Amino acid sequence: MELFNLGKVPWDRSQLIYHALGELNREALSLVSPATPYVCLGFHQNVDVEVDLEYCRSQGIPVFRREVGGGAVFLDGRQLFFQLVLRKNNPLVPLGMEAFYRKFLEPVIQVHRRLGIPAEYRPINDLAANGRKISGTGAGHIGDSAVFVGNLILDFDYDTMARVLKVPDEKFRDKVHKTIRENLSTIRAELGPKAADLPDETGLNAMLAEEFSKVLGPFTPGRMDAELEAMMRTLGRKMLPESWLHRRGKRVNGRQVKVRAGLEVLHRVHKAKGGLIRVDRTVEDGRFRDVDISGDFFVQPKDAITRLELFLEGRPAADVRSLLADFQANHDFDLPGVTIEDWLAVLE
Amino acid sequence: MEIQGYNLPDDLYYDADHYWCKLEGGLIVMGMNDFAQKLAGEIVFVQLPFEGKKIQTGKKFAKVESGKWVGKVMGPVDGEIAASNQALETNPKLINQDCYGQGWMYKIKPDDPGKIDALTHGADKIRSWLLADIERYKKG
Repeated sequence: MELFNLGKVPWDRSQLIYHALGELNREALSLVSPATPYVCLGFHQNVDVEVDLEYCRSQGIPVFRREVGGGAVFLDGRQLFFQLVLRKNNPLVPLGMEAFYRKFLEPVIQVHRRLGIPAEYRPINDLAANGRKISGTGAGHIGDSAVFVGNLILDFDYDTMARVLKVPDEKFRDKVHKTIRENLSTIRAELGPKAADLPDETGLNAMLAEEFSKVLGPFTPGRMDAELEAMMRTLGRKMLPESWLHRRGKRVNGRQVKVRAGLEVLHRVHKAKGGLIRVDRTVEDGRFRDVDISGDFFVQPKDAITRLELFLEGRPAADVRSLLADFQANHDFDLPGVTIEDWLAVLE
Repeated sequence: MEIQGYNLPDDLYYDADHYWCKLEGGLIVMGMNDFAQKLAGEIVFVQLPFEGKKIQTGKKFAKVESGKWVGKVMGPVDGEIAASNQALETNPKLINQDCYGQGWMYKIKPDDPGKIDALTHGADKIRSWLLADIERYKKG
């Protein structure tokens, strides 16, 4: 299997290389990091919904749609990417998703542990240290290959991450910023003062290569040959134009930002007969957190909405219909023109 | 029939990636089988190609995302898309809830309906094929 230990590369090559290796069915591990920052969009996301393109353009931050799932992320040179490309039918590739991630996250766990960070696998595709996510990963089929990608996060620019996302208002942005900061850690943050002893990029990539070879066998040096360059050019012509970026993605109701598996920040607006209802909320491991309801509906007494917010706090989001029925049956309030169906439109 | 917790009707035809097919009024109806939907987890997006899109045996014509994975859907036969299940646009989870019914994915107008015979079919063949994949799955 080939090893492309390339270090810093132009931002577009940090994406095109694994797409090209996948299309060419060349089994390889690629270790790269972008020389300049960019935003990377999940395969089925709508760029107009997810990313503040105007801001990105004003700051010269390119936006790229990858052929791997997940959410929009801000990537820069303080993140080191590992990109594994294996033939779909390679016996090393487990059939089940969890087994796949568990197997190929193991080398990444070992690198963190060698650095002194107690990283652990968290199903299905997260790596956590001291309760916080510490690496982002994704996978998919490209060509006839199974591709696994992820990053070592040395430092993370939380401010720019929250800034490049498209948000309904600044309050939502603050919420996203706070939630990401609370739930995503970095290698430097975990190491604290010991970060001064952290190996440089070359050293970290050498550790990654060594740990991955324990799972994959020995590597041969990868060659940026004519075939690979030609495929990267071909894919660049397809994936770098605006038309690819603006492909239609999945339909989403309102705005939702996934921070990690099981943690989402959501915003929804719904026009009920009795007025506009707007709800900001977080769903953490299936439970409501920080439900914030506002709008221009009439409600008497005024504190009924605060009581509903408190009532929902910590309760299972999947039970929302019965929770709302329960609240309505046991609380005395008047909310004309707003039915349980209206509440479900913003809370389900 | 039920095989180690996976429901695989024995009157359907299956491709190697665990999509099922059946002939219905000259069209091939296609969807994800129970083994695949259980392995994939919650389906979050399905590409729904427009009517008339040409498809080829073994060539990708759509993608499916399960949150943890973006997978490809390959043409089971040569032909063209006659319909995509538009209900999946707003509710892709129908695949998890009812993969052989409301969660159907595509209807294909085959160039040669007889080509469906190249897919795995018949109770014995389905059983041995699925057991081999379950074994592979268990091994990890």
